[in-house]
Amino acid sequence: MQVSSLFTGKDVCIMKKRACSMETRMARQYLCLVLPGFIIFTIGLIIPLLLAFRYSLTSWDGMTVEKTFVGLKNYIELFKDSDFRNAWWFTVKFTVGNTIIQNVVALLFAVALDSGIKAQKLYRTVFFIPCLISAVIVGFIWLKMFSNVLPAINDLLGTNFNFLLFGEKSTVLRGLLIANNWQWIGYWMLIYLAGLQSVPAELYEAAKIDGAGTIKRFFNVTIPMLAPSITICVVGITTGSLKVYDLLVSSTKGGPGRASTSIIYQTYTTAINGRQYGYGCAMSVTLVVVLLLVALVQVKSLKSREVQA
Amino acid sequence: MIVENKKLYAPRRRWPRMNATAGIQIVMTLMALLFIAPLLMIINYSFKTKKELYLNSPLSLPNSLNFQNYINAYKKLDLTTTFTNTFFYTAVSVVILALLCGTTAWAIARCKKKFFKFCYIYFVVGILIPYQALFLPIYTIGYKMHLTNTRFGIIFMYIATGVSFGVFLLTSFMSTVPLELEEAARIDGCSVFRTYFLIVLPLLKPAMATLIIMQAFQIWNDYLLASLYVSKKELKTLTVAIQSLFSAQSSDYTTAMAAIVISVLPIAILFLSLQKYFIKGMTVGAVKG
Amino acid sequence: MKKKVVSVLLAAVMVMGMAAGCGSGDSGDTAADTQNDNGAESSESDADGESAGDTSSSEKVTLSVLAGQSTTDAGIEEFIDEALAEQYPEITLEWECVDWGNDFQPKMQQYMQSGLPDIMIGKAQDVATYAPKGVLAEIDSTYLDRGLDAARENVTVDGKTYGLVYNALYQGVYYNKQMFKDNGWEVPETQEDLQKIIDDCNAKGITPFASHMVDTWSIGNVTMQFMMNDVFNKDAEWGDKFRNGEVSFSDSKEAQTAYQYNKLIYDNTFPETFSTEQTDCDAKMVQGEAAMKVSGSWSIQNFLDIDENFEFGIFPFPNQTGDSKLIFEPNITIMTSAQSEHQDAINKVLDVLTGNKDLAVQILDYTKTASMLKDVTPTFTNPSQEDIDKYAADGRIVDVTLGNNQLVWGGFQEENAKDIAAWLQGDETFEDCLKASDDRVEASSAN
Repeated sequence: MQVSSLFTGKDVCIMKKRACSMETRMARQYLCLVLPGFIIFTIGLIIPLLLAFRYSLTSWDGMTVEKTFVGLKNYIELFKDSDFRNAWWFTVKFTVGNTIIQNVVALLFAVALDSGIKAQKLYRTVFFIPCLISAVIVGFIWLKMFSNVLPAINDLLGTNFNFLLFGEKSTVLRGLLIANNWQWIGYWMLIYLAGLQSVPAELYEAAKIDGAGTIKRFFNVTIPMLAPSITICVVGITTGSLKVYDLLVSSTKGGPGRASTSIIYQTYTTAINGRQYGYGCAMSVTLVVVLLLVALVQVKSLKSREVQA
Repeated sequence: MIVENKKLYAPRRRWPRMNATAGIQIVMTLMALLFIAPLLMIINYSFKTKKELYLNSPLSLPNSLNFQNYINAYKKLDLTTTFTNTFFYTAVSVVILALLCGTTAWAIARCKKKFFKFCYIYFVVGILIPYQALFLPIYTIGYKMHLTNTRFGIIFMYIATGVSFGVFLLTSFMSTVPLELEEAARIDGCSVFRTYFLIVLPLLKPAMATLIIMQAFQIWNDYLLASLYVSKKELKTLTVAIQSLFSAQSSDYTTAMAAIVISVLPIAILFLSLQKYFIKGMTVGAVKG
Repeated sequence: MKKKVVSVLLAAVMVMGMAAGCGSGDSGDTAADTQNDNGAESSESDADGESAGDTSSSEKVTLSVLAGQSTTDAGIEEFIDEALAEQYPEITLEWECVDWGNDFQPKMQQYMQSGLPDIMIGKAQDVATYAPKGVLAEIDSTYLDRGLDAARENVTVDGKTYGLVYNALYQGVYYNKQMFKDNGWEVPETQEDLQKIIDDCNAKGITPFASHMVDTWSIGNVTMQFMMNDVFNKDAEWGDKFRNGEVSFSDSKEAQTAYQYNKLIYDNTFPETFSTEQTDCDAKMVQGEAAMKVSGSWSIQNFLDIDENFEFGIFPFPNQTGDSKLIFEPNITIMTSAQSEHQDAINKVLDVLTGNKDLAVQILDYTKTASMLKDVTPTFTNPSQEDIDKYAADGRIVDVTLGNNQLVWGGFQEENAKDIAAWLQGDETFEDCLKASDDRVEASSAN
């Protein structure tokens, strides 16, 4: 709806400014460039989203022809649903954990590789390979690691580490963070590495002359110069983690109990296995709204950073 | 450019700090071993027989190099078909995405009209829409438009879900494209389209490479959309074949492990041989943007 | 130098990769050859030669099949293809095999938007879910008559039969016969008997129960077994009464007892049960690390794969009153689409499935399950068959579809199992676990 009003607004604008035809002609051409992507995106993603919103006002089970309208009942129920709240809590913990660990470790790895050690490329390859593997497989691999391989190392060494991370509510998050980080650290590391290598050496020299130590140089020169890389990494990791689903399908299946049920996993099981499609749609709409708020904040802060730069 | 810089500040790194470097070297070696361990485990498992799997320790080596699991996995995955499909979908989708996102991002960055500002937000919001949660409406739309079970349909969906990230990435990159050249071209009477293809597109190459590689990853490893849109055997992708192998062979995971090796091997070899270009492409755009 | 090392390594990896690639390629061919020896191509050409005369008139048909499979079923599609190619070479089946527990329901939902595949293979309880939506076709009595009468009962809705039950599973407690003999344990009939065995096990350092609670489905499955013997055997309409608000988990002593048995198992199983998968669990059972396992016929395949001489029996999990029945579950159930344009071809497939006894024996032997067709008996050695026959002779067998139809799996049993897991691990109180099941009452029925 908002789209159409903007269109008409634009049309009006075109009519008014018939005089400056050059500008309008260009705008029209720009429009031609934007439209294909706009249309595909709208059909493929936005219309399904609107459909989901429509379904979220019904008690549809996902199968029958008739969809009974129930108004906002589903949304009201959501607030009373402790499983939904727990799924949110897990997703937030997972996202925050990932964002912090992945950024810090990837940056440290990048700095380490950039510090002139031997066989840099070999390390780079080793760290990068896991992200060539799809998340479904990564989940499967770590399931085997935690339940079979690592305990066997205990037997071998006679130690008693608790490697059964997927088996308990208190440790399952740790286990999933390990699996996810194993997969992605190498990827973000590369981006930081490229960032580090494009920092002009003169800046370091200048800082050195000013008497700044290694640590001070790192925080005062390296970090600010890495700002664009950091932005990319933070946005990528946050949005990826909030949507975690594939990793869970083949590893914990949301368990034990519901301890590792992410918001998408919960939506999926409710809408599909639980045949409460309308209710599940209410969950996804809520998720989209929350993500939208996050997006607004992020876009705002990105914009302000760009101005500074 | 990277290489040049490296030369410039290489001496700085040669401080008399050999101890620290050696320490880092050791730590990173340990880390690398930790990272590679799961992969070695997969390879080890993939050669074991079912009996060895049950009766021996997971750490023990297989008694002999037994390729039976690979044979089974190769057959079950229908590797030639699934690999070709996955490759085709990925290649076509990323090329179209690159073209589409480039034009869209440029138009958004250059035209100051309200509608384009709105477009930017509209697309960026798309990054955050969890298409995983919209799977039934996505299927309904696809079915109504006769997109399901067609190559076109699945590619269409990959574009629809990837376009928002592409626009986001390229729009932020546009600030590095100098306006003067474009203006000069326009004064020479170039249309918007010509300006884009002649002037802007070549300058966008690094960012395009980044976009293509990032999206190629996503699409190559996608499971949900492929399983949703494609059920015909001859259209299946590798991840879908592997996932069904997993759920079907959960009691026989030596075969599953062999399947993992086979499916990762082609892309790993591709990566290793093109590593230089790959990494350059992946990072240049990201750093500039 | 560095470069050299790297490039040597790279080359090594590539060579290895190539070797592996070629190796699998070559061996792939040989595999195909052997495959052909035992069927595919030869039978196809035979069929072309023989039956070309009477089938050449009918045109080629491709039927789509959605197969929701359990772990033991994967692979039967190849047998069916072979048999079909021999009898009706003009029909090709286009299989879509998915995991029943996770993906069958989503796929069905998806296809109900667009049109169902011609044939769907699921479980008996699916009929109760989908038949009322009017999307399934009735199965012709010609084919139904080739099956056991017992097979029809739970796939019939309003007097019409929408499913063809092909095989069946038994569920109960599998036990290590040798171990029972060595320790002088008798098959327990009551909870006291069972407790004695558990105590003796613990005294001797044997784990009483093997279990793999990492799989929520296994918790859900055993809970239904307990519910059958402690709840549904006493009150066959408990599920309907639950929906009418007459009974609830929080009030029903029997239902709570059924839940509590999970605790009994959890207290007497591997400490790492929440990280133990089915295969590992079965391996431990075969290796004599545990005495019993509450499970179903799907474990047989694993047991015999690990040790073909493993001696095991089965008994129903004892209930409070000591009159437990062995649980029987119709498994592979074939349903057909009401809208299909190829009804004739579908019937031919049903004809192959029900009429081809060799195929049936092949499938049953492969899946290690019991037959639901008349005059078909699997030939694999099933050490627990003796026990099953004994319970069958005493009339102590009960069909679990009764419970599964009243309290559905997806959205109810499955979700309850998650609460049970949380309760066992101490993350939730027993009262909350029961209350959660009660709160889910609306999701307990398929319709």
